[in-house]
Amino acid sequence: MPPAETNPADANRMKKSVARLKALAIDALLLTTAGLMAELLTIAFSGRRGPTGLLLTAEEALDLLHYAWMVAAGIVLALVWNLFSRWIGSSPGRALVRGVPEWEADLPWSHTVRGWFAVLFIELTFFAGWLITEVDLPAFLTKFSKASDIVRGLVHPSASVLHQGVVLLVQTVFLAFMATAFAIPIAFALSFLAARNLTRGSVLARGLYNLVRAGMNFTRAVEPLVWALIFISWVGIGPFAGVLALWIHSVAALTKLYSEQIESIDLGPVEAITATGAGALQVLRYGVVPQVLPPFLSFTIYRWDINVRMSTIIGFVGGGGIGYILKPRVDLGEWGEVGTLVLLIAITVWLMDIVSAKIRERIV
Amino acid sequence: MNASPEGRRLAVRLQNVCKVYPGGVKALTDVNLEVREGEFLVVLGLSGSGKSTLLRCINRLVNPTSGRVWIFGDEVTAAEGARLRRLRRQAAMIFQQFNLVRRHTVLVNVLSGSLGRSALLPSMFLRYPASEREQAMAALERMGLGDRAASRADSLSGGQQQRVAVARALVQRPRLILADEPVASLDPALRHSLMRQIEALSKDEGLTVVCSLHDIDLVKRYATRLAALRDGRIVYQGEPQEFDRGTFREIYGTDAEPASNALV
Repeated sequence: MPPAETNPADANRMKKSVARLKALAIDALLLTTAGLMAELLTIAFSGRRGPTGLLLTAEEALDLLHYAWMVAAGIVLALVWNLFSRWIGSSPGRALVRGVPEWEADLPWSHTVRGWFAVLFIELTFFAGWLITEVDLPAFLTKFSKASDIVRGLVHPSASVLHQGVVLLVQTVFLAFMATAFAIPIAFALSFLAARNLTRGSVLARGLYNLVRAGMNFTRAVEPLVWALIFISWVGIGPFAGVLALWIHSVAALTKLYSEQIESIDLGPVEAITATGAGALQVLRYGVVPQVLPPFLSFTIYRWDINVRMSTIIGFVGGGGIGYILKPRVDLGEWGEVGTLVLLIAITVWLMDIVSAKIRERIV
Repeated sequence: MNASPEGRRLAVRLQNVCKVYPGGVKALTDVNLEVREGEFLVVLGLSGSGKSTLLRCINRLVNPTSGRVWIFGDEVTAAEGARLRRLRRQAAMIFQQFNLVRRHTVLVNVLSGSLGRSALLPSMFLRYPASEREQAMAALERMGLGDRAASRADSLSGGQQQRVAVARALVQRPRLILADEPVASLDPALRHSLMRQIEALSKDEGLTVVCSLHDIDLVKRYATRLAALRDGRIVYQGEPQEFDRGTFREIYGTDAEPASNALV
């Protein structure tokens, strides 16, 4: 018996208040956002000019918004909507968190305030987005000539970098391969700790699970480009820094994929092997590994494929591979040579894609 | 050997066993049960009545929320780690879904029954001593599957897979067999033959059997004793001969009708 019994009625009331607060928070967020977007559109259509006499840039306009006021207004409106939902109809937050009462459920959207708000919100988002990203249709439609040099270069590849390009392409493929190969054993070992269904046993296992999950999420969240910069200062410019950058990213990605696979296994064989009196490692070896090995192989090949693509960008900052000679040619505007390299990369990625898809088909 | 069942040692003993799953489902409530050595105890009950949980509490595949469990006098509920694994070795388990390692060969599946006494490192590479391999082959021969030793487990039919599972249980050299609905996924025509094989094993090797079933036709034929579960409680214990329409209703509820007249 647990020492402190919680009254179910109390627990229920707790749940209700939490749901109310959640609904309120969602509504306040939506209304505030809508208000800010509306203000942005007003500023844009007022034709106000910046200090330089030119029309405002998106950044300048965003700086002019009354954030505090809008947050306050959003909260007040959200409160009003939630308090008087019997007359106004359910607010979006209330509908999301607690569901819609029956009398509202059958109404078409155009008969509810919530429906009209949704339409307004989507339209506001579209037009605010147009302003914020500074969409410039006239430029897109009329100024193609400025880019024609590049495009002409790309479709007239020059043979001068062909040899060097192929050599570095080989390096790129191997770079991606080594990154994947180094990642496999670590991801394999970590994936068992990152699988929810295998870590239910003890507090220690649960703790390790959370630790590994958090670590992997962080590692994956950091761009490979940033990892590349870190490893370039660590081991110096060159392909090995690229290997390390892709390696650490692959460990995180593969751990996630592997562990999700482990979470979906049939636990029957695990039970059967446990019942023989086998130890934990034997249970993993017989009950889990045979079930997950084929999909693991498939994920790994796919990862290699992704790593080939990523290593181009890694090369831009000095991580070796074909990206390393692509960057200076882009900077110098050697578009013919850029065209050759881009073409080489495209062919490789295309080939890898076909081969990896074929192999994966066979395995699973 | 003492002829009267009361004089024999207890193979399994459950004392006030309760199991509440996370989420509040009460699978077992205050279960008390004693199984004597050499008995063939059949546990009856509707699906969801707690039969699987009861069997799994005996070898701790499921941890009871409270209560105590002994097998052959050793307390399972007090054992952890290596000691728990040694106790588990005495109780081989057979499952409704066979639970073979589908991508391994039949022989490796049978050999895995010996994992509890195998050296760790060779077993990780699926290597077993010659004596174990011979024993595994003998078990397969006994189940009539000697020629399928090298086949992948999932290439066999359901009936064959369950016989592989029985061979795996045999290789474990247990004193107790826990069988969780062993024939429920088999073709009705094969049910008696598999039950006969389990019965023959228990007689030849002097094994105790705790077997859950829901097919009443099989119960009278194989059980030496019956226990019935309803909503996680033991509602009936007795001899199969005493089992009649009244007790049937007691277990399955008043809406239920026996599928055949076998018991009346």
